Amino acid sequence: MDAAISVENLKKSFRVYQEKPATLKEKLLRIRKDQYKEIPIVNDVSFTIKEGEMVGLIGQNGSGKSTLLKLLTQIIYPASGKIQINGRVSSLLELGAGFHPDFTGIENIYMNASIFGLSKKEISKRVDQIIEFSELEEFIHNPVRTYSSGMYMRLAFATAINVEPDVLLVDEVLAVGDASFQRKCLNRIKELKNKNKTIVLVTHDHGVVERLCDRAIWLQAGKIREDGPPTQVVNEYLKYLAEQDASRETAGAAEEQIVETAELESIEVEENTLDSALRWGSKDIEITGVRTLNRKSSQESLFASVDSMVIEIDYIVRKKLSDTPIFGVAIHTNDRIRVYGTNTQIDEYELDTTIKKGTLQFSIPALQLTEGDYVLDVAVHDTSGKMFDYHTECKAFRVISRVRDVGIYQMPHEWNTIKR
Amino acid sequence: MFVNMLEVYKYREMLKNLVIRDLRTRYKESVLGFLWTLLNPILMLIIYTIAFKTIMRMDMPNYSVFLFSGLLPWTFLQTVVSTNTSIIVNNSGLVKKIYFPHEILPLSATLAGAINYLLCLIALFIAMLYFHIDFTLSLIYFPLILLIEIIFIQGLSLLFSSINVYFRDVSHIVSILFMAWFYLTPIFYPLSMVPEKYRHLYELNPMTKMEQSYQAIFYYGQAPEIKGILISCAYALASFLLGSFVFNKLKKKYAEEL
Repeated sequence: MDAAISVENLKKSFRVYQEKPATLKEKLLRIRKDQYKEIPIVNDVSFTIKEGEMVGLIGQNGSGKSTLLKLLTQIIYPASGKIQINGRVSSLLELGAGFHPDFTGIENIYMNASIFGLSKKEISKRVDQIIEFSELEEFIHNPVRTYSSGMYMRLAFATAINVEPDVLLVDEVLAVGDASFQRKCLNRIKELKNKNKTIVLVTHDHGVVERLCDRAIWLQAGKIREDGPPTQVVNEYLKYLAEQDASRETAGAAEEQIVETAELESIEVEENTLDSALRWGSKDIEITGVRTLNRKSSQESLFASVDSMVIEIDYIVRKKLSDTPIFGVAIHTNDRIRVYGTNTQIDEYELDTTIKKGTLQFSIPALQLTEGDYVLDVAVHDTSGKMFDYHTECKAFRVISRVRDVGIYQMPHEWNTIKR
Repeated sequence: MFVNMLEVYKYREMLKNLVIRDLRTRYKESVLGFLWTLLNPILMLIIYTIAFKTIMRMDMPNYSVFLFSGLLPWTFLQTVVSTNTSIIVNNSGLVKKIYFPHEILPLSATLAGAINYLLCLIALFIAMLYFHIDFTLSLIYFPLILLIEIIFIQGLSLLFSSINVYFRDVSHIVSILFMAWFYLTPIFYPLSMVPEKYRHLYELNPMTKMEQSYQAIFYYGQAPEIKGILISCAYALASFLLGSFVFNKLKKKYAEEL
C-alpha cells in the first residue's frame, strides 16, 4: 500500500509580537527591529499515513493539532520540512464555507461543494445524496437564512462529507446536530473508511478515536509524544492528563506524603501532624501509613478502571490487647457515597496477633470503578467497637476509564442478541 | 504561474459560482434590483453632462456619448479594483479555513465587474441611438480592448489585494489614487484639449490609450490606433506579471496574517 500522506521534519512557528505593527505608517516609522518571540507550534514532526488508514490526532489545546491539519490542507505553509499528499484532499475545518444566507439550500450546496474543488457534473451527481443525508428535503428550496442553526450545520456537514475526497481531514466538527445525526455522521465516516479513504481526525472524543481509528498520534507541544494503536495511545494520554490534574490539585498532598514517611521512621512521636478532625481513636494500635500500590507494587494514585490495587496499612501495636483487633477499609466517591466497605472480621481473616509492627495488605484484583475521584478510609478497632485509630480520607486516588459508562461500579457484563 | 492558472481552471466551478453570487447579491433586497446597474451610470452621465457641457461649455458634438464611452470602462476599473483591494481581507473566513487558489477571489470580482460593464453598454447603445451615432464595424475591436482591460485590472487587483493583507492602509491609498487618476485621464475631455507640452506625460498613464481606444470605436466610429492597443497591451501584461509575482510571494502567509 502506498503512503497517502507523508510528512518529514515538519516545522512551523508563529511569531508573537510584543506589539504588532499593523499599518504602513507604523511600519515605516518603526526604525528599531520588531520585537517578537518565535513560538514553535509544530516542531520537527515526521510520520507516514498509509492509504486507507484512519488516524486520530489527540493532544491538549495548543499542542499543534489544528496547525498540523492546516499545514496538511495547505492553508498555511511550513517553515521547513516536506509534506507529500497523494490524491484529492478535502478538509472539514470549517463547515458551510461560502454559504450565503439569501441563497436556497440547493444553491448553497453547489457553492460550497465548488469551493471544495468539485465540477458542476460531480456536484450534480451527488446533490440528491447530499439532500437526503441532510434530511432537509422539504426546506431545500428555501433560503438558508430561514434555517435553524442545526439545519444549517446539517446541510454544511452533508455537503462536506459527500465530497468524497481521497484524503479527508476532519477537525472537531463531528459534534453537529442531534444524537441521531451525529451517529449518521460517524457512520458516513466509517463508510468512507471502508472505501479505503485516508482520514485524519482531530478530536477530543477519545471514544471515537478508539472505536474508529486504526492508529492514534498524540501531539504534545508540537512534537509527537506517542504514535501507535489507539487504545494504547489514548490510555497513555488520559493517564498523562490525570497525572497533570493531580499534580496541579494536590501540590499539598505531596507534602503530606513526606510527613507520613517521616512518621514511619520516628514512631515514638506521639504528636500527629495529620488533620485530627479526620482522625480519632485511642491509638492503642496506631496506623502509621497507608499506601495505594499498583500492580508493580509502587505507590500510585492513578489507576485505570481495569487495574488491580493493593492497599497497604502500616501499623504499630502500642499496648497489649486482650482480643484480636479488627482492621477495616472503605472506599468512597468524592461526594462521600460509600462504594464498598469491609473489615477483617466480616471477611473472617485471621490476623497474626504476634506481629507488633507490620503491614496489612488489602488486594483488589480489579477495581471496576467508573472514572472519577475516590477516597479511602481505614480504621482499626476491637470487637466491642472501641476505636484505636480511624483515618477518614487518608488517601485519595483517581480512576480513569476508557469507556464512558456512568454510575460507580463497572459491572462485568456482555451483550448478546438471540434470534427468536 | 502556469501551475497557478491550471489550479484556477480546476476550480472554475467555484469561480463561476462566486461570479454569480457577486452579481446576484449586488442589488439584493433593493426594489429596482438589476435596474440599478443601468441607472447608476445613467445618473452619473446626466450629472457629468450638466457639469461639463452646460456649465463648463465643453464644445463637442454629442458630448454625452463621448463621455459615456469613456466613463463606463473607467467605472469598471475603479469599482473592481477598489472592491478587490480588500477582497482577501473580507473573505478571511474562507482563506483561513479552506484550501483553494486565492487568485479566484479577485478574479471573480473582476469577471463580475466585466459582466456588469457589458450590461451597462445597453445604456450606451441607447444613447448612441438617441444621438444618431452610427454603429460601425470598428466595434469588433471591443472584445480585444475589453480583454486587455480585464488583464490590466486583474493585475492591479492581485497587487493591491495582497499588499492590503499586510497593510490595511492600501485601501485608503487606492481610493485617493483613483480620484487623482480620474482627472488625469482623458475621460471627460479629449486628449487634444491637453496643452501640447504636457501631452507626452499622458503616455505614462496606462489608461490613456485604453480610453482613447474605447472612444475611437464608440464615439468616433474608427478603428483604434494599433500603437495604442500595443501600449495598452504592454501595460496590461506588466500589471498582470507584477501583480501575480507579488501575490504569489505574499499568499503563503495570508492565513496567518488575517
